[in-house]
Parts: sequence; structure tokens; C-alpha cells
Amino acid sequence: MRTAVAFSNVSRHFGAVRAVDGVDLEIAEGEFFAMLGPSGSGKTTCLRLIAGFEQPTSGHIEIFGETAEGVPPYRRSVNTVFQDYALFPHLSVADNVAYGPMIRGVAKAERLKAAEEALALVRLPGFGHRRPSQLSGGQRQRVALARALINKPKVLLLDEPLGALDLKLREHMQDELKVLQRTLGITFVFVTHDQGEALSMADRVAVFNHGRIVQIGSPEDIYQRPRTRFVADFVGSSNILPPDYTKAFGGGANWASLRPEAMRIVATEGAAMTGKITGLRYLGAGTRVTVETGVVPPTDERGAPLHEMAPLLVVQVPAGQPVPAEGELVGLVCAPADLHAMAER
Amino acid sequence: MNFASNLSDALWRRPRLTLALMLAPPLLWLGIIYLGSLFALLAQSFFSIDEFSGLIRYEWTLKTYGELLRPANLDIILRTVSMAAAVTLASALIAFPIAYYAARYARGKWKALFYLGVMLPLWSSYLVKVYAWKLILAKEGILTWLFAKLHLTWLLDAWLALPLIGGNSLSVSYTGTFLVFVYVWLPYMILPTQAALERVPGSMLEASADLGGSPAQTFRHVLLPLALPGIIAGSIFTFSLTLGDYIIPQIIGSSRLFIGQAVYAHQGTAGNIPLAAAFTVVPIVIMGFYLWMAKRKGAFDAL
Repeated sequence: MRTAVAFSNVSRHFGAVRAVDGVDLEIAEGEFFAMLGPSGSGKTTCLRLIAGFEQPTSGHIEIFGETAEGVPPYRRSVNTVFQDYALFPHLSVADNVAYGPMIRGVAKAERLKAAEEALALVRLPGFGHRRPSQLSGGQRQRVALARALINKPKVLLLDEPLGALDLKLREHMQDELKVLQRTLGITFVFVTHDQGEALSMADRVAVFNHGRIVQIGSPEDIYQRPRTRFVADFVGSSNILPPDYTKAFGGGANWASLRPEAMRIVATEGAAMTGKITGLRYLGAGTRVTVETGVVPPTDERGAPLHEMAPLLVVQVPAGQPVPAEGELVGLVCAPADLHAMAER
Repeated sequence: MNFASNLSDALWRRPRLTLALMLAPPLLWLGIIYLGSLFALLAQSFFSIDEFSGLIRYEWTLKTYGELLRPANLDIILRTVSMAAAVTLASALIAFPIAYYAARYARGKWKALFYLGVMLPLWSSYLVKVYAWKLILAKEGILTWLFAKLHLTWLLDAWLALPLIGGNSLSVSYTGTFLVFVYVWLPYMILPTQAALERVPGSMLEASADLGGSPAQTFRHVLLPLALPGIIAGSIFTFSLTLGDYIIPQIIGSSRLFIGQAVYAHQGTAGNIPLAAAFTVVPIVIMGFYLWMAKRKGAFDAL
């Protein structure tokens, strides 16, 4: 498989701000790649480096084996779906979509036909004569997608494309984007701060923080085996255990992540950890139980508590098994193999 | 309860009356002083002058308009409209890069400096500026001296030798009139253009580049169409102000008349008020047409 985009030790500094700081990454052809991170983590700057709107301060970027530094955006076979869609307000939807072919000098009849096909691809047939201002947010997003796809880019960049849509539409578009990417076989690079979106859509995810990639891997890797506390925290839904908790559960003296499904509720005697149940949430496939472990805070040799705030642990009890009542004191155990060790930072 | 609070309570209960009381003085001012005088002027243009006595005959006639269409007067109209068009075009060309810089790049201190630089000439007296330019453009003036220092006197002479736009010196040529017009009206073009450019999101230009548009293509297909309402708004100022001005061509330029000067001459020394009135109707009609066109292009959204 060919490499679509390769970064080697790429940095982009704005004055003293290191927006992107020594990033290495390789995106394979036909891959659905997500860049995930909080705002200001450098993911959008990385996308803009691929598009050509930014030039790296140092390092080397290749797009399909060709050096990208110094190549202006209009000479790259890469197209972008912008966060605000950036549709041209003075042009009709059809002329917006046909903008790329128009620039390349394709005859009017031919490019409008191509635009109609692209609009049909994003399921907006017959919308060509409208103005962008007459469309809903979801429709504009599709037009932006059609306008990029009509150029048959080698890489399609999507900058938080679903951010402005409401929840239901967003979920629907997630499925549609995924199908579109599979049918067209184009490399998609997708920037988002929504971990659910990244994990459900992408083949691989790069988690960004402070201009660096903290972890890169399959959604399963990122979710099940977060490499650092930051990743576990950002991706969410895993329990994050401080070193003494990890030790109590039978692991080493290091930070660890522990999935809610991996814990079992037992009697307090002989349990690895005890706590009081403070919340129950019925999810259908099971019940999420929140356990406040601070009731018996772990103490050091002199009896002083080790944590100011003992962590709340979330346990998933599978359907069909007895669920304890709220306020009950319970014990928790897990198989040491399920403890996933990770770096503090 | 004193009278004042009674009154404010009464007005509070009758918001329409309050609004009417508030708007009446300015509307009366606008209606009587402004529009009234304009219509009085319009009415004058439908009277005529008795050629022997020089007195105005108060009978409705189109005779004055017939006089207006004489070749000599048509020359004046053509000269003024051409000058206004040239000044507008040049202002737009000069204003665009300045407005673009201010809208896209200038931040904080530099933006304040931009506004100051554009507005500063507007704060000094119009006459002072025009006379200052007379000194700059005169035969013994700074510009002639500068051309000599740069060994470019031949260029200036060649320019002045051109028919129509040339002359004895810059200060008595159409070129001089043109330069001063552009200088004086330029701020009115820069500000609306800048306001329009400010409203074009950066992502719009990036999108064009992303779709393969070179900077020239992006300018032509995205930036210019989106800035056009602002440029048209600015051109309304430069065009109408040039059409009506009678001081600049009086002080700087050849002795050939512009519309404003013709009006001035006819209502003054010649005492031909009807023809003066007919002359003023010309820019009003031209501007009416221009504004109608501009409105269709959405120019008033940028004001």
C-alpha cells in the first residue's frame, strides 16, 4: 500500500507558540484517518499543512511521494471541506460545486453535468439552482463535500465537518461519510475533537496534545490501551487508576486504565478495593454502577490518606446479573491482565 | 406629581405620539428645506429666460432644456461625466490594495494608523488642500522640480505635450484636475471597499485556492465579486462628488467649464437661473440612474 501523506519531524511555530511540534506520521492510501485532540492541540494546523495553507517551520512533508513544502494549495491534488463550509455566497449551488472544473477550464455544459452528478452523490439532486443561503446546515455541508469530491482529490481533508450539525444529523452524516469513503476509496483525513466520532469512523486515530501526537493507532488500541493518562482521560469511559490503586488491584506501581466491563462487584471481605455505590445507570445491555472509593481512602504507612479526592470508579454489570442497591458498600476485583499500564504524561 | 412627570407618563402611554413628536422637526427640516429647495430648483428649469430683457418668464416650457442640449453645453456635460468616470476608476484602482491591506493584514496599532492616514486629509480644509495642490502642480512647483532632479523633465514635457490631457503646466491641465479630484475623494472609496473586504471570510479565499484557483483566479472569481458592492458604494461618492464639484476645476485645470462651474456662471453673472437649474438636473438624473443600478448590485448592503 502506498503512503498518501507522510510527516517527518514537522513543526509549525507561530512566534513563541509551537502549534505543531515535531510530528511524525504516515497515512496510507485509502485510509480513513482521524486527528483527535482538544482545541489548540495542533490537529487543525496539521490539516492546514497538508492542504498547503500553512508551511512547516521545519521538517518534511510528502504527499504521494512528492515534496509538499513550497507547493501552493492550488497545485496540490488535495481538497478540503472547511469547518464553516466556505461556500461562495455569490454563486449558485451548481456553480459552487463546479468551481474546481471551472478553474481548470472545463466547458460550462460539461462542468454543470459533473456538478449535478456530484450533488447526486451527496444526495442533493436538483439543488443546483439554489443559493447557499437557502440551504440548511446539513445541506451546505453536503454541498461543500460535493464541491471537494468533484475534483477527484487524492486526499480529502475534513476540518470538523460535522461540528455545526445537530446530534441526529451528525450521527447520520457519520455513517454516510464512512460509506462514501469506502465507495470512492479516497484517503480521508478527518479532524475532530469528538472522540466518539473519531473512534466510530476512522481506521486509525492520532491523538494530539500540545502540538504533538501522544498516541497513534486503531480505535480499539486508543480505547482499550491508552498509552498515557491524557489519552485515557480524553477518550473517556475507561477508569483511570493512580499507581496505588493499580497496586491494590494486583498490578504494578503505575498509572493504569481499566475498562468498566473488566471489573466485578463482590463482597467487601477480601476485595481489592471497597466503596459505596453512588449512582446506577441502566443502559439495556447492562447497568453502569458508580462506586465512590473514598469511603475507605487508601492510606500510607502513617495512616494519612493518599488522595485528596479518591477516584470514582465505573463498573459495568452485565444484564441478568444482580445489581446492588444505591448506598450499598461493595467490594471490587478485576483480573490483573485487564489493567493496562500507561504513562502519567 | 409635577407637570414634567405627568407629561412623561402621558407620553409613555402614547408611544406613537412620542415618536411623531421626535421625528417631526427633522422631517420638516428635510421636507421643506432640503426637498423643497430641490423641487423649487426643478421647477425653475421648466421656466425660460427672455433673451432681450434677461428676465425670467414664468411659463411652463421645455425651451431651457432645448438650450441645455446645445453642442457647447453637451460638451460640458460630457467633459464632467468623463472626468467623474476617470476619477472613479482611478480611485477604485488605488483604493483596492490599500483597503485589502487594511482588511486582511493590519491589526491593532497598524489598523489605527490606517484609519488615521485615510481620515486625516478629510479633517483639513478642502480649499487649503486644493491650493496646496496648485503649488505642487504649478510650473515652478515641487513636482516640476522633482522631475528635474530625477532627470525626467522630458517625461513631464512629453506628457504635457499630449493633446486634451496636456497643457502649459500640470496645474492648468486636465491631468492636474484629475489628480486633485482623485486625492480629495480617495478616502470615500477606501472606507466602503475596506468594509466590504472585511466581511469576506479568509476561508473563502482558502477554499478558492484549495479548489485550484491561482491568486489571480481567486481575485477574479471570488474576491472581486464579493468586494464589488463596497466598490460601487465608494464609487457613488467619488462619482457624484466629482459631478457636482465646481471649486477644483476652477482652481486647477484649463478654463473649460464643468457642470458645477456652468451652474455657478449661469446663476451668477449670466443671471440665467432656468439654465442653471436645468444643468443641476443633469447630475441628479445621472446619479438617480447610477443609484438604481447600484441598488440592483446590492451596493447599499455595504454602507
